[in-house]
Amino acid sequence: MRELTSLTRRQFGHGLGTVLALTGLPRPLRAHDGTHEVMVRIAGFAFDPPEIEILAGDSVTWINGDLAPHTATARDGSWETGPIDRDGEFTITFDAPGTYPYVCEFHPQMQATIVVRPKAVD
Amino acid sequence: MKTLTLLIGLAVAATGVSAQADEAMNDLKIAHTAYTAGSLDIRYAHLALAISETDAVREFAQTMIRDHSAVNEQAGELIAELDVTPQDNALSRALVEGAAAKRAELTGLTGVNFDCAYATNELGYHQLVNQTVAETFIPAVTVEPLKLLLEDALVTFRAHEAHAEHMVADLQCAS
Repeated sequence: MRELTSLTRRQFGHGLGTVLALTGLPRPLRAHDGTHEVMVRIAGFAFDPPEIEILAGDSVTWINGDLAPHTATARDGSWETGPIDRDGEFTITFDAPGTYPYVCEFHPQMQATIVVRPKAVD
Repeated sequence: MKTLTLLIGLAVAATGVSAQADEAMNDLKIAHTAYTAGSLDIRYAHLALAISETDAVREFAQTMIRDHSAVNEQAGELIAELDVTPQDNALSRALVEGAAAKRAELTGLTGVNFDCAYATNELGYHQLVNQTVAETFIPAVTVEPLKLLLEDALVTFRAHEAHAEHMVADLQCAS
């Protein structure tokens, strides 16, 4: 997997968001064409975007913009980021296809979902 | 300062403390009061962890400690960066006195009586603080970094207010 710096992750996320906005594609966000990292921003006690769609092997990076610490924690407890402080970030790679609803462990009203699709075989 | 007098009146009504004050709130006093309000809620939370055996109440209390500590840590860093000293004031003192009286009341309770008293107080406390921050502090602050901090903090405090509202409802305290 290509290593991305924090800056390029942001650029990637912003760039992808811009492309989706320009093409009029609705959410969920989808990463494709290789292995990618997708950014989920935490702000205002919400995950943004609240639903993303990625391919197996892709990674998700959460960046916390709130003063309060947050987590991204799978509802079934299979994965978690641990506490992410303000301006902190954490990345998890998803290798297994499936639907992963998750919450902030500290603020359970914060809910979101990651859908991991199987990677296409050439 | 008609607005401040009203807010102190609300604080007095919420806490049962007798206080008289009519002073202008500058940036340093606002910073002091905001920091004080957070610290007092942390003390309430520690009391809840010492007394309550209800998971929802204990989890709320842990969230209050975690979140208010984070906000106050940011406030402390800003205060250090600006090299200023927050000023004690009548509203801060009213909050401190009211919280002391409330803690004394809560300490004498156990079980569901404590849970409901704590939850109801948390709801009222956050309503009062959030109204004060939104309607008085943020419009009055002149230092931009402090205004931004208060705006960010208000997002957190409003989430707490909503959480407290759900806690009160789930505990069925009104029935």
